[in-house]
Amino acid sequence: MASVEIRNLRKSYATTHVIKDVSIDVDDGQFVVLVGPSGCGKSTLLRMIAGLETISGGEVQIDGAVMNAVPPKERDIAMVFQNYALYPHMTVAENMGFSLKLKKVSKAEIRAKVERAADILSLSHLLDRRPKQLSGGQRQRVAMGRAIVRDPKVFLFDEPLSNLDAKLRVQMRTEIKALHQRLGSTMVYVTHDQIEALTMADKIVLMNDGRVEQMGPPLELYDRPANLFVASFIGSPSMNFFDGTIENGAFRTTSGVVLPLAQIPSGAEGRPLVYGIRPEHLQLGGAGGVAVEVAVIEPAGSETQLYGKLGTDDLVGVFRERLSARPGESVTVTPSSEQVHLFDKATGNRL
Amino acid sequence: MESRKEVIAGHLVLIFGALIALHPFVSIILQALTPAPGSTATGWTLENFIGAWTRGGFSQSLVNSAIVAFAVVFVTAVAAVLAGYVLSVLKFRWRVAVFALLMIGLVLPSEARIIPLYNFFSSTGLLNTYWALILPQIASSLPLATFWMANYFAQLPNSLAEAASLDGAGEFEILRYIYAPLGLSAVLTLSCLIFLYTWNEFMLALVLMPDNVAVQTAPLSLSFFAGNERTTEPEVIAAAAVLVALPVVLAYFFLQRRFMSGLLEGAVK
Ligand SMILES: Nc1ncnc2c1ncn2[C@@H]1O[C@H](COP(=O)(O)OP(=O)(O)OP(=O)(O)O)[C@@H](O)[C@H]1O
Ligand SMILES: [Mg+2]
Repeated sequence: MASVEIRNLRKSYATTHVIKDVSIDVDDGQFVVLVGPSGCGKSTLLRMIAGLETISGGEVQIDGAVMNAVPPKERDIAMVFQNYALYPHMTVAENMGFSLKLKKVSKAEIRAKVERAADILSLSHLLDRRPKQLSGGQRQRVAMGRAIVRDPKVFLFDEPLSNLDAKLRVQMRTEIKALHQRLGSTMVYVTHDQIEALTMADKIVLMNDGRVEQMGPPLELYDRPANLFVASFIGSPSMNFFDGTIENGAFRTTSGVVLPLAQIPSGAEGRPLVYGIRPEHLQLGGAGGVAVEVAVIEPAGSETQLYGKLGTDDLVGVFRERLSARPGESVTVTPSSEQVHLFDKATGNRL
Repeated sequence: MESRKEVIAGHLVLIFGALIALHPFVSIILQALTPAPGSTATGWTLENFIGAWTRGGFSQSLVNSAIVAFAVVFVTAVAAVLAGYVLSVLKFRWRVAVFALLMIGLVLPSEARIIPLYNFFSSTGLLNTYWALILPQIASSLPLATFWMANYFAQLPNSLAEAASLDGAGEFEILRYIYAPLGLSAVLTLSCLIFLYTWNEFMLALVLMPDNVAVQTAPLSLSFFAGNERTTEPEVIAAAAVLVALPVVLAYFFLQRRFMSGLLEGAVK
């Protein structure tokens, strides 16, 4: 177990800057999720922690020791790759025991450790198979087993679930989380799936274009997104945004609809703003509600999604109630004013 | 989906091609089995083989061929695995220069090196020794062998080496435990090719070991046998030719499955 500190890290390929001044602290035993859109530099950052990519600037420290020049094999880090990278010519047991074999651990001890890890991951009946003879989910488990057996300082995961089907993904998500609680190890987990990030992380690091947009506990990113990018990335369906300005103590969108506000931040009046409200923070009916023209209604059993127009803007709503309105009809919805987010239109930052 | 007609037409073409390819082969075997003029045997006979074996000294030359071929195959295979790994996986700094140099070795016609090789070996006193055949053939097999292995290793996903390095393997251990075992079938296919090529080599043997019967290889002694002595008995010469070709054919049949799967591997994946 260990802590990881990343200080002003940079990575450039010739003239392209892939990681631009990133600093992150990962505490001992913490589960940190790096999340962001494709190509934002998550894998690159993870591989720099592992020592698989050279560092163009800044520092990576593990337990306070600078790792920049330490080769991967001396960092005591285990990584689960997106394609699992199992050794195709070795059995499951040999795959899992490979690192111990290199360390010249005795055969009996390797066997014992491999069996213990296989037991945790319910792989015991597969130990003599080759990776080719396994399903995707089983391979994924073997890749995790290979990491667990080593008892490393830090676990790194690079989108380990992206090759699995939706159901298995949800199941493995829970298993990885349970594994973290059981081992108490430091883990850094990369994904582009914000649901995975929200459900698994102790701390989310949301990246975009080589920079950290916001970093903190999942609900903090959900409740108080620092800017428009974070607000639109976290949450599903995405937050609704309406351009407009504050006039006479209320928000007026560019198409003239007036939306409620609980309080008005100082200095907000008179400049272009963006009003953000999550689909789940709209209520049906209510006094002071606004009229929404229905485009599509999608019942999903436990909830109903509404796609429609508010003035000229698109709006998405998610409701517990069932809706019987038809396309073209109008329904009244009320944004709960406590849950409104206001952003500066020019900078994108939260007010 | 091919129609029945197309399948039949395709097979006819293939059968025709196979007949053309097999004809010399079959006819020389038939001739070798026919009694030579002046023989008392009737029907099929093996006495031509016995005659060729005793008079041609093939027991020695087949052993010589085996020594040369195995030495060349072994050294080339080991060197090609090491070089392929350094060039394609470790991304050795001067790899482009090395590949360019190897390319010269591939395109240079082998006839062009014979005179310089003769001069070299006669000045070093290695003419008429095994070295005169082994060293140049290692050198001439190495470019193709290195390309072959480098290409094979380059196809394997990088993440295998990366996973191994995180597991604590150094560069040599990555080769030893990951790349070498995975490259085994490629090495075997390669070894087969080099073995065939080396076994059949004639020109170098003719020029570089003309005067020492003790080290001459089988194709060379076959040629001497056919040219100098028994031109009147084509059946015995045919038997000698079959004897010389036999090890290669046997090796091919034993390794055929591996050989084919090795050749097809890149294409099918
Ligand atoms: N060798 C390279 N040369 C130049 N640019 C590169 C190189 N490798 C990666 N990049 C760039 O670096 C950026 C970050 O890549 P990275 O693989 O870290 O993205 P990612 O966040 O993991 O994306 P994904 O979710 O698709 O896996 C990308 O824009 C990519 O084009
Ligand atoms: Mg990635």
